[in-house]
Amino acid sequence: MKKVLIVAFSVFTLSANANFMESGHNWNKGSSVDPFAAAIAAAESGYATNLKANMAWRDTGKMINEAKKLHKAGKLDAAVALANKAHKQTANAASQHKLATIAGPRF
Amino acid sequence: MKKILTAVIALGVAVTTASATDVEADRKAFVEHFKSIKPNVEFADYTNGVYAFDEGSREQFEEILDGIPPYEEAVEKGGAEFEKFGLGKCDALKDPKAARLAHPYYDDAAGKVITLEATIQKCYTEQTGKKMGTMKGKIARISAWISDQAAGEKINVKIESDGAKAAYERGKAFFYAKRGQFNMSCADCHVYNADKKARADILSPALGHTTHVPMYRAKWAGIGTLHRRYGGCLKNMRAKPIMAQSDIYGDMELFHQAMSNGLEITDARYRK
Repeated sequence: MKKVLIVAFSVFTLSANANFMESGHNWNKGSSVDPFAAAIAAAESGYATNLKANMAWRDTGKMINEAKKLHKAGKLDAAVALANKAHKQTANAASQHKLATIAGPRF
Repeated sequence: MKKILTAVIALGVAVTTASATDVEADRKAFVEHFKSIKPNVEFADYTNGVYAFDEGSREQFEEILDGIPPYEEAVEKGGAEFEKFGLGKCDALKDPKAARLAHPYYDDAAGKVITLEATIQKCYTEQTGKKMGTMKGKIARISAWISDQAAGEKINVKIESDGAKAAYERGKAFFYAKRGQFNMSCADCHVYNADKKARADILSPALGHTTHVPMYRAKWAGIGTLHRRYGGCLKNMRAKPIMAQSDIYGDMELFHQAMSNGLEITDARYRK
């Protein structure tokens, strides 16, 4: 019974902490990984996949280029935020792609 | 035994794919949909696109046609260019009327859809050694002039081989798939919401879209190809436009034209 209670309490604590975390939280902060390099790599890789599937969004490429410019100008936080936004777009486009292959009329 | 089973399964998949494509049933359902939203519009009137829906716009359209339509000079120039570049020497274009009626088609040897513009490009390169654009200018003018020669004839796209059916299905899926930041499909505007307004414009019906292409658009102040319009629509949905004359646009054109089978090709190519 004690073990069960400990496990339940741990799960509750972890999930409560996760809920308080803002959605745009950068999990790489404080680690040795370059946050911009990771974010831009994810965005570029997702964008390349979207392009291949003919499902890319209009502004993703521009956002990636803009993020690189911000990074070059030393605006790291803005660059990471924009790269993450671009990555989010690629993830949404990938979700559309899953449905696109089976799309058909509603009548 | 394993080989026999694999062969039977493969055969089953092939037969299912081929038999699942019923272009005529799709077309009938497409036409029925438009009948259900606009019961008073005659099928033949869909060749006039959005002008079949709205009285006021129709009056403006007819006034433009009664005068000197803004595309007339460009189409005439297209005819002169057809002669100048010797495009009539190519087998596929020697009879311009037949050429318009034969395109788009699925070329089994090439494994892709061949559009009228792709044939014009190929012939132009053979005759002049130069490359041609894909969306406006010469290609749109020449294609419009060729299409004018078939005015009054009915669209009759044939989809027969398995390759053609597969291309048609890809094009159909592209047409109905939601894409871009607005999560919209071509069908969202031009099928389900045709005749409704998007800002100040009435959304045109997809049925009949391909009867007047290439079109003159007041917004462009010139003539453009169907693929140019596809790109514009994708941009509006905040999706990245795909290259004109790409394989997927060819597939969608095959589907799009087939849905207008039975409608007359028109030389009234003005659109807002």
